Amino acid sequence: MNTLDALQVGDAVPPWTMADVDPARMRTMAAILRDPYPVHWDRSANTARGYAGRVINQGPLNLGYIVNMLQAWAGRGSVRRLQVSFGRPVLDGETVTAEATVTAIDVVDGERRATCEVRLMRADEVVVNGTAEVALS
Amino acid sequence: MTDVAVPEADMLALVGYRFPGGRYKIEHWENWLLTDCTGAEPPADDLVHPIALFHVPILGSGITITKLFELGRAAGAGSVGLESYDWEYLAPLREDVEYRIEGGIVSVERHTTDTGQVYDALAFTIELFDDDDGVVARITNRWRFRR
Repeated sequence: MNTLDALQVGDAVPPWTMADVDPARMRTMAAILRDPYPVHWDRSANTARGYAGRVINQGPLNLGYIVNMLQAWAGRGSVRRLQVSFGRPVLDGETVTAEATVTAIDVVDGERRATCEVRLMRADEVVVNGTAEVALS
Repeated sequence: MTDVAVPEADMLALVGYRFPGGRYKIEHWENWLLTDCTGAEPPADDLVHPIALFHVPILGSGITITKLFELGRAAGAGSVGLESYDWEYLAPLREDVEYRIEGGIVSVERHTTDTGQVYDALAFTIELFDDDDGVVARITNRWRFRR
């Protein structure tokens, strides 16, 4: 029996940490997204928002850390739904950790799934939160 | 009284706006770089990293982030923020599969915060279809345009 077979409501998903949010990855991401918004690559663009000299991580990358946690736990291709809200920005050089707790286990369309409360933490601050549905197989 | 240069009626008129529609194929190099940006190990199969559901629906539906900013009448850097995503995966996305993609703006709401900041919450929904016209993924993104 693997750990997913024995899963119970209230169990924690093993966390996933991005130790150093990398501005080089933000630049690559901006190119992939065709995102001209300079807040992600121009350190002079964020002064008015109070982040002088810093760049802001893309929301999809913040969500990506949560996805990496879920896929490391339940396998690639296991994510069925993500519903998240975004709080304060994540900046270059910061450390963030994805966490999750199982809140329900159901069978949907013949597939065993876990619903998880997910969150991205910067120390004690929640910067992304929501729910995820993940296939358990 | 807050001076809002963008009339609320102009924003509400965007509801129902349809994107041109189009097709998109995610190639291996793109999936590799996208995955690397998240800090995950490089893909060892043809499964696409799930965060592709940010840019693939937008670009594949014939629109761009720039055009969305124009539609929302963004005031410049720092004036647009993310509110929420709702992404459904009805089938895993795969490299080198061409998806048909359609979508549009589904809601606009004007809000005023406790501190008097006015913003418009604009939501758009986009669906990805396979060759059999089955929906493989659906997204609703809600962005905040500060006034």
